[in-house]
Amino acid sequence: MKTIHLFILFVLVALIQLFVPAQMIFNQENTLEEGTAYKFRTQPIDPTDPFRGKYITLRYDINAYPTTDSIWEPQQDIFVYLKTDSLGFAKIDQVRKIPLEAETEYIIAKVNVYDKYQDVLRIHLPFDRFYMKETKAKDAEIAHRKAQRDSLPNNTYALVFVKDGASVLENVFINDIPISAYVEK
Amino acid sequence: MHSKIIKELPDLIKNEVISKEVALKIESYYRFKEENAPNKLFLVFGVFGSLLIGLGLILMLAHNWDQFSRAIKTIFAFLPLVIGQIVVGYSILKKKSRTWKEASGTFLFFAVGASIALVSQIYHLPGDLSSFLLTWIVLCLPVIYLLKSHVLAILHIVFATYFACESGYGYSSSGNSPWLYILMIALILPHYYMLLKQNPKANITSLLNWFIPLSATIVLGAFVETNYSIGFLLYIILFGLFYNIGKIPFFYTQQLRRNGYVIIGSVGTIIILLWTSFTWIWEDLIREVVFFSNEFYIAIALCLGTLAVLGYSYYKKWIKEFHLFQYVFIFFSMLFFFGFSSETIPTILVNVLLFVLGLITIKIGADRFHFGVLNYGLFIITSLVICRFFDTNMSFVIRGLLFVTVGFGFFITNYWMLKKQKQILKK
Repeated sequence: MKTIHLFILFVLVALIQLFVPAQMIFNQENTLEEGTAYKFRTQPIDPTDPFRGKYITLRYDINAYPTTDSIWEPQQDIFVYLKTDSLGFAKIDQVRKIPLEAETEYIIAKVNVYDKYQDVLRIHLPFDRFYMKETKAKDAEIAHRKAQRDSLPNNTYALVFVKDGASVLENVFINDIPISAYVEK
Repeated sequence: MHSKIIKELPDLIKNEVISKEVALKIESYYRFKEENAPNKLFLVFGVFGSLLIGLGLILMLAHNWDQFSRAIKTIFAFLPLVIGQIVVGYSILKKKSRTWKEASGTFLFFAVGASIALVSQIYHLPGDLSSFLLTWIVLCLPVIYLLKSHVLAILHIVFATYFACESGYGYSSSGNSPWLYILMIALILPHYYMLLKQNPKANITSLLNWFIPLSATIVLGAFVETNYSIGFLLYIILFGLFYNIGKIPFFYTQQLRRNGYVIIGSVGTIIILLWTSFTWIWEDLIREVVFFSNEFYIAIALCLGTLAVLGYSYYKKWIKEFHLFQYVFIFFSMLFFFGFSSETIPTILVNVLLFVLGLITIKIGADRFHFGVLNYGLFIITSLVICRFFDTNMSFVIRGLLFVTVGFGFFITNYWMLKKQKQILKK
């Protein structure tokens, strides 16, 4: 192959390499700008990813949906429709296997497992990782536990922007203060 | 090596072994050769430099600098990537040396990883490590062919293995066979084939001769989802495949240390046989095994592949004498499927098989005057004896005598061979 052909092919590959992260950014920015914000009550735990750094895993209070329909495949895509409760936190309105016609906000999530004994569907929400500065992740977990003891029951929540099924985790708050700022206090 | 020969030249002239003219010719020949050969040391340092810088970059970005705004962090995500791409583009366009291509390719590989890692960090993208690794290696795959980079090929294999382990062995994702791993390895094979054809004796080729079977050995277990007992069968067939590949004259005529297939195949076979030489393994096997499962079909596919290699070797008349190691997988498969009436028969047969393999290996070692092979055979028998040490009701005296006998065996065979070797040298 001629050098120039090789080079043109490489330029194509380079463009794809640039396009993939750019596309990732574009999708997220679009949801952040135009999506609806929801607050999800959550509990953080701190693990590590070797390439992307420290993060906290978020366990959401809304992770189960009572239903008598027992035919769900693990890892199946589901459409979770949302509403807010009196305190302004997100609640599950309904869970569907195919999207509804109505224009209400929903998240594409995955089935964890169907619990036959309690007749509930366990749901895995996609925004379960919040990357933090390496020095702060462990402190965040501890701070959450302390805040839990000090005041109202579960006052940690994730702010998530939702648009057309896509969801972007913007920040995590403890007592309405961003978690990274809360840890510094 | 060359400088050693050149240093010897004055001594050779002094003792009138060679004339001055010949010495001059030898010297100029090696000088010419040296000037034209790419500097290997430079290549190795270049690649290691890029590797360390790339990894360091990823680590620094993983720190998560939360004092920077999203926009600045995004610029940092693209900066190393663009730099890497410019350098690689330059080395393609200007037809730079091997060193340039390998070093810039290595840097680009890690820059791609750093870039997508930082983007997922900025936006808290979901997705586990395995999907991240897959995106990474897929994005870098074409560069291997564009640069004809061997280092990238090795990185690809290493990271594909990492991906498969993450997605197949992880606790959270148990039950996910990493099928895409097979595709990832298949996509690298054309490069490997070219390398085997053009540079069969290069160091990098022998590295790949090790990396590919090693990677497959590590990953195969990830395909075992629930049916753990079939794992033994899967592995023994895989090792049979490697052994038979390693026996192909193309690999077999090379030095043993370059032939990862034959070594991994042989040692792996012995380990699995030692494992299944215990009675309790067969008791479990009888209880657990499920036919017509996912694992079962993989075993059949692997078995057909191995038989194909074996058949082709016969067709090409590469196999001139019967060599038991090549057929162990057939023997074991038959035991696996027909040995379920009791646990005693397969246990005894596996023990006998191991013993015979040990003896055959000792004989081959003795015939070829190869101390390594001879002691490998003795090692097989010793391991067998040690395994039996733990699970039989033999009396301590008999077990003791067994150990002493094998110990003497080591001394006598090695001594006998040394003596024979000396006699031949004298003749």
